[in-house]
Amino acid sequence: MKIQMQNEECKLKNKGFTIWLTGLSGAGKTTISHLLERKLKEFGRNVEVLDSDVVRTNLCQGLGFSKQDRDINIQRIAFVCKLLTKNGAAVISSAISPYRDARDKARKEIGNFVEIYVKCPLEVCAERDVKGLYKKALKGEIQGFTGVSDPYEEPLNPELVVETNKETVEESTRKIMQKLVELGYISPKSPVANVYSPEEEARIKERLSRLGYI
Amino acid sequence: MVINKKKVFVLGLDSMPPELLFDRWLDQLPNIKRLISNSIYGEMKSTIPAITCPAWVSMMTSANPGRLGLYGFRNRSSYDYEGLSFASANTIHQDTVWDILSKMGKKVVVIGVPMTYPPRPVNGCMVTCFMTPDTKCDYTYPHELKTEVESISNGYILDVGEFRSDNKEPVLKTIYNMTEKRFRLTRHFIRSKEWDFFMVVEMGPDRIHHAFWKYFDQEHPKHIPGSKYQDAILNYYKYLDEEIGETLNLLSDDTLILVVSDHGAKKMIGGICINEWLIQNGYLKLVQYPAESTPFNKLIVDWENTMVWGEGGYYGRIFMNVKDREPRGVLAPQHYEHFRNELIRKLEDLRDENGRNINTKAFKPEDIYTECNGIPPDLIVYYGDLFWRSIGSVGNRTIWASENDTGPDDANHSQYGIFIMRNGKSQYGMRREGVTLYDIAPTILNYMDIQVPVDMEGEVLQ
Ligand SMILES: Nc1ncnc2c1ncn2[C@@H]1O[C@H](COP(=O)(O)OP(=O)(O)OP(=O)(O)O)[C@@H](O)[C@H]1O
Ligand SMILES: [Mg+2]
Ligand SMILES: [Zn+2]
Repeated sequence: MKIQMQNEECKLKNKGFTIWLTGLSGAGKTTISHLLERKLKEFGRNVEVLDSDVVRTNLCQGLGFSKQDRDINIQRIAFVCKLLTKNGAAVISSAISPYRDARDKARKEIGNFVEIYVKCPLEVCAERDVKGLYKKALKGEIQGFTGVSDPYEEPLNPELVVETNKETVEESTRKIMQKLVELGYISPKSPVANVYSPEEEARIKERLSRLGYI
Repeated sequence: MVINKKKVFVLGLDSMPPELLFDRWLDQLPNIKRLISNSIYGEMKSTIPAITCPAWVSMMTSANPGRLGLYGFRNRSSYDYEGLSFASANTIHQDTVWDILSKMGKKVVVIGVPMTYPPRPVNGCMVTCFMTPDTKCDYTYPHELKTEVESISNGYILDVGEFRSDNKEPVLKTIYNMTEKRFRLTRHFIRSKEWDFFMVVEMGPDRIHHAFWKYFDQEHPKHIPGSKYQDAILNYYKYLDEEIGETLNLLSDDTLILVVSDHGAKKMIGGICINEWLIQNGYLKLVQYPAESTPFNKLIVDWENTMVWGEGGYYGRIFMNVKDREPRGVLAPQHYEHFRNELIRKLEDLRDENGRNINTKAFKPEDIYTECNGIPPDLIVYYGDLFWRSIGSVGNRTIWASENDTGPDDANHSQYGIFIMRNGKSQYGMRREGVTLYDIAPTILNYMDIQVPVDMEGEVLQ
């Protein structure tokens, strides 16, 4: 029984998947991805975050924001996600990815695909204006800015919607973790004990007890 | 042009009490005294609970234990009765000062700060803490650093192993050994590594307090006059002072120096066997009362007739058996608050063997924290204002214990630790009040001209 349980957990540990965060600039994709990364690491997962800003300065240098360039950008990200997912990693992509067909293609290509709509009203994103881009876009200084002068096509059937103007980052992240459990990508068992092997844990416990801490 | 790089050096002394360092022995500690004469210094308020974990983490993140979801070394990971799970670096979700600095491209060195195991990547070097199982583990970042640590220290010591021994001699010896190695390594890194931020925590003071307090403190219930260990703690402080002097000598005058502790220490009068008390008050029922003192997790509890159980430690934690929350919960949610208040009243009325009120304080997590992430205990208790510890085991038929269930223990933690800050301004030994450990992280970042994250809870010390 116990051994079987461990096998189950082993299998889960090696099941790769891609969390695809989509939403307006400033909706909170990057912020959520960082907390999510830590949470997943607690489960002993290998995690790779493909943040759009990092991707655009490396993998997709030179690409602009036309529909065509945006599609290429997403194709490349999806390709890397696919490779990592195939090899058992937990992958998080945090590109705006405004076009539905591009996301659907990514879903097909990657397979274990968890689309999360990071939803936040445009006014709130513009108010946050984390990068100061909305100010420029609204003044017309940036062309083709998603939500202002370029379309954003909301997901029709995402695995989950998180509403960052109504939830804290922790809540949104918790919902995503819950969804991953539901989808069978991570085990519902608490991950906390994973740091120590059972023998190590026994030794630490013994030591802390002698030290009077517990 | 040489840009004057602002450096910060933090020395952590676990469990250093202001009463001993500042008020009692300062004149015998020339290096610390000299440092203080150019610093602001004083008491520093710890977290509730005043314990190593979460205190160091709260200090380095400026986030309260509730936000961290860290209520002790071990925390509930589910509402079942399986006991508590260990926290580690992997369960800390707030950025520490060195995480923030690493991201900003600053070079950091971190040695021995509690709750840094398993090592996580930093922009520099990390040697983990006493929560590392042993030196066979990967306890450095980068991985290869371990060879250097082992060779410089000639066998690094993470903690005092055989602590609860009646044979005090080896305990004392290991404490000195451990401290000597840590300072040797510290000086080696100060000289050989590139760094903007350097932090090292020495556990020695905590270990020596717990093992040797009764020998010097005439008010300790188990004080032994004229013992050869009478000056054990003082002598260790003098030794520390030398190590500190030698280390601070390596730092330039414009380095911000902080000497801090996570909490203080005070004599331990005794222990409250909380589960005995709960049994006597009809709140807890065992299937069978044990023949000898038995740890709580080894007992068979009659959960259907149990409302509350408690955990041992330097402070107490109380858990309530709530219907639809715990697997066999009995306390109806609508009675939860009323019952919890009743429990607080009774706990705060706890007496010693002579019928004197011991001044216990019980806290509701939601009253003392801005958020309660994870699963907080239902109550956090300071028995006798921390002059008494909490004991979880059952079997002695009395609620008072003069010995800890895992062996003798001389000292408990106290709410106020110390801070000393030399920031280059002429401060002339000013004693400062009202400082909390939440102030340390913002002070460091501000000094390094880095914007303090808005959710940090402390104030910048100037
Ligand atoms: N519930 C929430 N979830 C995520 N972010 C939040 C939330 N509430 C407020 N915020 C804030 O919103 C901002 C989101 O910025 P972030 O860089 O994460 O957006 P983004 O979606 O990655 O944008 P971009 O597409 O431009 O990279 C941050 O400042 C964050 O602190
Ligand atoms: Mg982003
Ligand atoms: Zn401590």
